[in-house]
Amino acid sequence: MTWARVLARHIGPIAISVLLVAAAAQPKSTYRAPRTPDGKPDLQGIWEARNTANGDLEAHSASMGIRAGESVIVDPADGKIPYQPAAREKQTQNFAARTSADPVNKCFLPGVPRVNYMPYPFEIFQTPEFVAITYEYEHASRTIHMNNSQHLDGIEFWMGDSRGHWEGETLVVDVADNNGDTWLDSSGNHHSNAMHVVERYTRTGPDILQYEATIEDPKTLTRPFKISMPLYRHTEKNAQLYEYECHVYREQGGGSK
Amino acid sequence: MTTVGIRITALALAAAAVSLLPLPAAAQRQGRGPEPKAGPFTRLPDGKPNMQGYWETRNFFTAWDLETHEKPEFGVPAGKGVVVDPSDGKIPYQAWALAKRKDIVEHHMFDDPQAHCWLSGVPRQMYTPFGFQILQPPGSVVLLYEAFHSYRILPLNGGPHPPDAIRMFEGDSRAHWEGDTLVVDVTNQNEKTWFDMSGNFHSDALHVIERFTMADANTIHYEATLEDPKVYTRPWKIAFDLGRNRQPDYEQMEYACVEGEKDLQHYTSSDGAKK
Amino acid sequence: MRRTLLAWVFCGCGLLAGPTVLSAHHSFAAEYDANKPVTLKGKVTKVDWVNPHSWVHIDATGPDGKVTNWSCETAPPNILYRQGWRPNSLKEGDEVTVDGFAAKDASATMTARSVTLSNGRKMFTGSNTDGAPDTKK
Repeated sequence: MTWARVLARHIGPIAISVLLVAAAAQPKSTYRAPRTPDGKPDLQGIWEARNTANGDLEAHSASMGIRAGESVIVDPADGKIPYQPAAREKQTQNFAARTSADPVNKCFLPGVPRVNYMPYPFEIFQTPEFVAITYEYEHASRTIHMNNSQHLDGIEFWMGDSRGHWEGETLVVDVADNNGDTWLDSSGNHHSNAMHVVERYTRTGPDILQYEATIEDPKTLTRPFKISMPLYRHTEKNAQLYEYECHVYREQGGGSK
Repeated sequence: MTTVGIRITALALAAAAVSLLPLPAAAQRQGRGPEPKAGPFTRLPDGKPNMQGYWETRNFFTAWDLETHEKPEFGVPAGKGVVVDPSDGKIPYQAWALAKRKDIVEHHMFDDPQAHCWLSGVPRQMYTPFGFQILQPPGSVVLLYEAFHSYRILPLNGGPHPPDAIRMFEGDSRAHWEGDTLVVDVTNQNEKTWFDMSGNFHSDALHVIERFTMADANTIHYEATLEDPKVYTRPWKIAFDLGRNRQPDYEQMEYACVEGEKDLQHYTSSDGAKK
Repeated sequence: MRRTLLAWVFCGCGLLAGPTVLSAHHSFAAEYDANKPVTLKGKVTKVDWVNPHSWVHIDATGPDGKVTNWSCETAPPNILYRQGWRPNSLKEGDEVTVDGFAAKDASATMTARSVTLSNGRKMFTGSNTDGAPDTKK
């Protein structure tokens, strides 16, 4: 009976928590995507976010140029980034200086995960060994190695280093080697070069790709947090990526200095 | 220090550098020097030639000039051009355009779009340094270039070019297979790109048709026919080989530009810098 | 002689078989002066491991005894990385010798052909050179 009590007291709650977290993490979808020639879920096509995460990941009122929006953070449940106190202070300073300090306003690469919810489309291509994501914004590009290879060691990238694998219907991408120079949105939410992101891409319908990202950063956060949002397929006839060469317009008189 | 002195020192430095470099085995580069004979190319499940992998131009000189330099000028090596038509190897400029090219080289090198981190356009993107990766996902050929993380998407689906009003640095590419040759029609380029660092330029009327043909497992013959009635007297053609990067465990890496560009501030007004 | 064009070259990956094959992406002559070769000896004050070119900043003592902080442009990080260099390979305080060419605009800026550490290890940074000797295959 002692064993049963131990189990009930300790394992039970843990098991329940695990189930609840797992339930929250799984997209509530039984959709089975068509397959690529090599038998993997076909995520290919042109996708774009349709939310205000690029303005602010957390719940926010409207402001000039940014619609009001709920938090895209699903964990922790309060929808707020679990900053360490000094990092929250830095975010406040970033916010005050955002017009000049937001790296995207200097036409810098947005980094991961922000690039996936910028208001510009991107296109996913799949071969057996690589998933390539090409972005209209500043011709950003990510190549996800699907060959069980290791992250590079001792180098940092604006868009990180991506290594992926499949879990059932989901493309799981591990993103490391991030520099600390990008923001998570235009409200000054930031990270360090210790940031590590695990992304999950799952088609939940013919034209919806559910995007989730768990972000951990021991230098800025007290614990990891997770965002989740649908991405929508561009279904118009002859949809294609164009170019948005932000730095060209800035040089020729388009942006803020 | 005399010119000869510089050259001797440079050679010595280069040789010394090569011998002292701590190159891990994985970083050792094969393929410099005589190429071992490559086998035939393989095919994808759909029967098309498998061009996938890492490639680079075998003509490093082309980044400096599409036309031949018989002897090294100070700073520009001797090099073979890639213009194969007309047969004299010279770009058939209209007279005004030839004068403009000279002016660019002598007074406006500051305006080289690559120096400003601008996209290279077609065909310059094909011989811009650092090589590129070819992927052949279903329905497209995708070229991912290391330089400035550029990319070109070549759809095989027979869709139309966008309207003329939409202009892009890399233009718009539509591809199809003719036998084992990938033919790519490139329109909608803007006029802002150059072909090399020798002032060779075009207008927004540029139309390019590329042909990629695998000669063997490690070689792609690349040809591009260029026409631009505003600038040239007739269409002309370049051709060169792309060689497979045979470094074991090679990976392409991010090579950003905008974020860290610090050279332009040092250009002088004699090269067109606005000071 | 009006220098019409000088190739701006930096080190490619293939460094084994003989003279380096170099590649270029913008003009040397617009920025640097091949008639102004310079050798600097000094202490590293900062390393910017950035694209499109890394920069090594050093405090170098001139012939007049004056210390000037020079900015030395090198190959991009991915090129250096493939040669085995890492961001901590070169640290603040390291004594280095830098060979290269000075900028035309008289700022304390130069393009480094090589950076040599006090232990003799040489980083062939292969940036802007006069082109001819290094690019001959």
